[in-house]
Amino acid sequence: HAFFQAWLNEKFAPELLESKPEVIECVVEQLDHMEANLKRAKRGDLKVSVHHMEIERIRYVLSSYLRCRLVKIEKFFPHILEKEKSRAEGEPSILSPEEFAFAKEYMANTETYLKNVALKHMPPNLQKVSLLRSVPKPNLDSFVFLRVLERQENILVEPETDEQREYSISLEEGSQHLIRYRTVAPLVASGAVQLI
Amino acid sequence: MEPAEVEFLAEKELVTIVPNFSLDRIHLIGGDLGPFNPGLPVEVPVWLAINLKQRQKCRLIPPEWMDVGKLEEIRDQERKEDTFTPMPSPYYMELTKLLLNYASDNIPRADEIRTLVKDTWDTRMAKLRLSADSFVRQQEAHAKLDNLTLMEINTAGTFLTQALDHMYKLRTNLQPGDSSQSQDF
Repeated sequence: HAFFQAWLNEKFAPELLESKPEVIECVVEQLDHMEANLKRAKRGDLKVSVHHMEIERIRYVLSSYLRCRLVKIEKFFPHILEKEKSRAEGEPSILSPEEFAFAKEYMANTETYLKNVALKHMPPNLQKVSLLRSVPKPNLDSFVFLRVLERQENILVEPETDEQREYSISLEEGSQHLIRYRTVAPLVASGAVQLI
Repeated sequence: MEPAEVEFLAEKELVTIVPNFSLDRIHLIGGDLGPFNPGLPVEVPVWLAINLKQRQKCRLIPPEWMDVGKLEEIRDQERKEDTFTPMPSPYYMELTKLLLNYASDNIPRADEIRTLVKDTWDTRMAKLRLSADSFVRQQEAHAKLDNLTLMEINTAGTFLTQALDHMYKLRTNLQPGDSSQSQDF
């Protein structure tokens, strides 16, 4: 299920991943549809409770997924907004329209807050702060665990220390690995690997 | 990822039950189930199986690997080899816990099974700790962990990845960088 995949990837990726509007919309639609059906059905029916349980499970994953994204947006907002600003035409967005509005508002609120609480009381030449420079960036060099969905050749593993040399590995379908996120980020985006 | 969340994923695995009720096919969002007829075995996801069992609407059939002989073989092999043996189910730990908790009356020699699975888990976790230790010591950049299950990876994983991240930060801060990001947390 593409939806569970998206949930796991978002959970384990150190940066905010591409927004998946088609997947989310599809899930929400199915949930709404199922709930409407249940409203009309007989009460106390076994079928109703089974459907209800499934709906609760899917709801949990959906909330967890959206919350995970919001946490990352709040954590990395200046960088995310910067990335969105410099996005080329036709490149997929990492934010949904609602998330984009949220991120902008969050940024504006943070700036206002900092100004009112501290900056306006500072001497004039210290009243500016660059959020882009002071807010930490996501650490793309974190290690992640992954499972390979589509075989990949020649993935370059960079050395950890100066004494080591880089080497390349191939990722067999079904194998599991521990590696730096940076190396495999494009594979996560394309769906070739699944973070676990 | 919390162990409860790994268990949540494990609950999607299919298991065989024998219902004592009838119900025609259900069309769930995740796929179709049933039809259910009393006395006829049918496959359902674990989350449903447990629920039906709790409502006394079915009997659970343990998966074929949940058998003392098989588990003894697996445990012995795990103890013998240095590498990780492939497990009969990617969710062996969670399934054992769930089925033994809620349906131990349907599982022959449940206590022995519990002990065997725990022994195997302990052996594997010890191996994992050793591997993780050598990974960190030798500052490896990559590891292949094919026969590890999600629960094992998650139990050891968060600590390991955070430790590796810290080491990376310490190491890169030793080198004078031109664009050093100051506020790393």
